[in-house]
Parts: sequence; C-alpha cells; structure tokens
Amino acid sequence: MFWRIFRQLLRASRGRLTVALIALSSGAAISSALLNINLDAEQKLTHEFRTLGANVVVAPPSAGSDAALADAAIMEQIAGLGASQIVAAAPYLYVSANAGTQPVILAGTWFDQVAKMNSWWKVDGAWVSARDDRSHCLVGQAAARQFGLAPGNRIDLRAGERNVSLTVSGIITTGGAEDSQIVTSLDVAQNLASLPGRVSLVQLSISGTSSEIEAFVSHLAGTLPGLDARPVRQLAAAEGSILARIRGLIFWTITLILVLTTLGVLASMAALAMERSRDVGLMKALGGSVQRIMRLFLAEAAALGVVGGTIGFAIGVVLARWIGGRVFGVAISPRLAVFPVTIVLAVGVALTGALPLRLLGRVRPAEILRGE
Amino acid sequence: MAPLVQVENLEKRFEAVRALDHVSFEVEAGEWIAIMGPSGSGKTTLINILGGLDHPTSGRVVVDGMEIGQLGERELTRYRSDKIGFVFQQFHLVPYLTALENVMLAQYFHSITDEKEAAEALRRVGLEDRLEHLPAHLSGGEQQRVAIARALINHPKLILADEPTGNLDEDNEATILNLLRELHSAGHTILVVTHSQSIGNLADRRIELEHGRLARISLPVR
Repeated sequence: MFWRIFRQLLRASRGRLTVALIALSSGAAISSALLNINLDAEQKLTHEFRTLGANVVVAPPSAGSDAALADAAIMEQIAGLGASQIVAAAPYLYVSANAGTQPVILAGTWFDQVAKMNSWWKVDGAWVSARDDRSHCLVGQAAARQFGLAPGNRIDLRAGERNVSLTVSGIITTGGAEDSQIVTSLDVAQNLASLPGRVSLVQLSISGTSSEIEAFVSHLAGTLPGLDARPVRQLAAAEGSILARIRGLIFWTITLILVLTTLGVLASMAALAMERSRDVGLMKALGGSVQRIMRLFLAEAAALGVVGGTIGFAIGVVLARWIGGRVFGVAISPRLAVFPVTIVLAVGVALTGALPLRLLGRVRPAEILRGE
Repeated sequence: MAPLVQVENLEKRFEAVRALDHVSFEVEAGEWIAIMGPSGSGKTTLINILGGLDHPTSGRVVVDGMEIGQLGERELTRYRSDKIGFVFQQFHLVPYLTALENVMLAQYFHSITDEKEAAEALRRVGLEDRLEHLPAHLSGGEQQRVAIARALINHPKLILADEPTGNLDEDNEATILNLLRELHSAGHTILVVTHSQSIGNLADRRIELEHGRLARISLPVR
C-alpha cells in the first residue's frame, strides 16, 4: 500500500514536483560539472604550469664556483629514475666569455629541453631545435641590443685561448637572466670553457602537486648524494596557492548553488505542503502515525533527489566537457566518483527542501477538518 | 457491563470560550445516539474529543475502558485507528486515491491492507462498480458511502458521524440513513451529530446541547 499511495502522490503532485525536480536537476548539474572540473583541474593546471619553466634545480652545494659537476653521470642518473613526472630536464653550464672586448655570460644547454620547459619564451627569429647544434645560438634581447645583433648575424665568442663563431638563430625575451645571456648548445660551452663533461646545474620541470614535487625532490636528493636538489619555492607556492584558490572557489560556488537549489525546492514544497495539509489532517484522523505519513513524504523527496541527481549528473558531464573545452582547451573527463556524490548532495538538498512537508507532522486534525 | 462511553464533567475551553461545560452522559454498546443542538452548541467539539482528535480541558472521557484524556499522541493515534470510525459531513476522502484505495488507506494505518476485504466493504455500500473511481468522479452520496465503508473497515467500537447527510440531496440522504440503520441493526454503536429532527428521531436517544451544556437527554418522537 505504501508504494501505491506513493505512486498516487507523485501523480497527483506532478506539477509542483516537476518544478522541484527542475530546481534539483539544475543544482545537481552545476555541482556535478564543478566537481568534475575540480577533480580534473589539478591535473590540467599542473600540466599548464609545466610550461612556465623549471620548478626543481639540482646543483652542487657551492653552485656558482668552479666546482662544476659531471653532466653525463647526473643526466643519466636522472633519466634512470624513469619518472613519468619529469616533463623536461636541461643541464646548464655557465661560462664567462667575451664578444669582442665586452664580457658576456654564455649558457650552454640542451636546446630541445629548454624549448619544452620554456615554451612561453618569446623568440624573434627561430628556435634552435637540435639539442647539440654547434653552429647556432639564441641571444637574450638585452645582449642583442648591447652587441647590435639580429637573427642571421654571426657572433664571435672567446674564452681564454678558445674561440667559436656562431650564427644568431633568434633573439629571446624571457624577462629573466637569459635576456642578457647567449644560449648555446652544452657542447659549445664545454669546449669553449675547456670543461668537457661538466655542468653548473640542472633545471627540471616536474609535474604534480606541491606534495608530489616535494616527494620527488626527496627521492632525487637520495639518488644524487653530494648534490642539492631543491624545488623553486616561489613557483611551487604560487602553483599551490592558485590550486587552493580554485578549489575554494569551486567549493563555495557549489555551496551557494546548493543553498539556492534548496530555496527553490523549499518554495515548491511549501506550496505542496499547503495543498496537502488537509490530507495529512485526514490521515492522522484515520489513525495514521506521524512517522508513517512522513515516511511517504520523505520517500517522495528522496526519490526526487535520486532522479534530480541522476539527470543533473548527466547534464553536468556535458557541461564539464564544454567548460573544459572553453577554459583548458581539452574536454574534462567525467569521473564516476562524482555520481554518488551528486546523488547524495541532491538527496540532501531534497530532504532539506522538504522541511515544509515535515512540518505537516504538527498538523492538528481537528483544526484541519473543521476547515481552519 | 460497563457502558461503552462514559463522559463525566467534560469541559473544553478554547481560550476564553467554553465550548463544553461540564457535560456528562453514558452510551451503551449497540446504541444509536443523536447529538443535537444549534450551531456553536459544542456538538462537533464533543465528537472530536470522543474521537481522540481533541483533548478535554477537564473531566473524564472513557471509551471501551480507555480514558482518552490520559493518552499521549501515539496512543491517541492507535486509539483512533483501532476504536473509531469517522464519517464527516464533507466526506474527507483523499482526492488522488481511488474509492478502493481510500478504504485501504484506513487498513494501512490500522495494520495490513486486504484489497478483497476493502472491495467487499464497498460492495456492501453498493459501490462494487466504483472501486477504481477517484472521489472527483463520484457523486456526493457515493463519496459518503465510500467514507462509511472506510469507517467500518477496521471494525471500530464506535462510529462517529458528523452531519453525515448535511451535504446530500434527499435520495442520497435516504441511502445513507438506510446504511446507518443497517449498521445499528448489526450491533454497531453510532453517535451522529445532526441538526435534522427526522434523523434525530431515528436514534435510540437524543443528547441535546445548548451553549456547551447538556440541555437534556430525550427519547425520539416516533
């Protein structure tokens, strides 16, 4: 009989329940979309952050002195970690050289890795694509101005007794120290400085959350005894802060949406409660206990929550894909874990919104049946 | 044998208004009592207290050995479903349940539902071809017959009818009165609130109220 009454209740109140269902589905759709985005945003954003430069540096304790380190060993050791977290790893050897009579800092590195790590660098001309290109270089925009260089020009560099002549492939603007440096291949810098097989430091771009990066750095420090492996604190902190803010924004938006949805459901349920007060008075007069009558209404609200949550989840998946495409340029993958969370939220909202129906338990049958 | 209903010094106040003023009477099992009096004399208040829908302010009301004033909400709910069958002037059927489901609703709140028994109750009031009709598709007389079938389905000790023919035409009134007569003949105890002298005259006794007081208990004029 419970389900018979339940079915008739749904049929009789389908108008008001549809309004409540629309409110619930809308709230659940936005919540579900935001939850999907929240779960995917960290991965998407950390991926985006990896184009912003190195976030881990490995260097000897006395970095900057002549105590450079063996490149082959360290780069092979890093590669030997086999970590999928490593987006790019670029060794650097800094050499004091002269262009004509003026001193300049030469940064020898692996061009391919630098390009991967610093895709935001502005290049006037062309990148040097080959890792070991011995005939081209990139010149920082301040250095180019100082030496009057443009793409295609040649520059002669000297360090001690050794010389090298390179063609300027591009002028780079980085906003950092590279603006006043000349970037060559690592081989060129090592030959010019007579430091074969040596590097000053290694820059790494590591994907993951702050804690994952910290864990990787600890592992790296253990693998490379005698070297300092440290995260670039400002970058890690900024990334962490952005992620925390986005998470906070999503949390409060979901909270606000759920509050608004509850108000929408409350409004529908208040009207429904007015309509049903006579029926509840009658049911109580016939010997219906408050618990038994309320069970009907709460089952109705819970069913509304389950249906609204399911519809909302489906719409939310589509919405998340669309927002993902617009904001991150890639679709957000739906997470099944969001489905039960959406259902629980929608049922919670429906049960909270059903408060006016729960208050019907206080109806005094004599007053209702008298028509008061 | 103790009377089925004992009312002693019953008083009911609604703030400053005294709806019932020290009313006392007894009803034996199987009696048909008409409760009569002008509007505002306390008839409906009396029947609501007897039916456990309202609490007395003071006095004692004992029905089938249970003192109603001493019962809590849960016990009153149980009392209503076990002992009382209500018939209202406005019928008070649940509009979205069929005739059959309205009768089964009383079974549901009492214990377990029995569709065959509910259908049989409707057949007894002549509605065997209206089982699946919604109240809106029934005439006033048919709706009242559904209400009577619902009132009887749990075999109550006491049938309380508040102006059961007040909204019916003559033909339907006659049908309902015939049904009440049959119930009385079958041994049911019936208290009917009515303004109608003719209905009052069908009862075994008439309890007449005026301004909340018991004016007189009289025998009908036949």
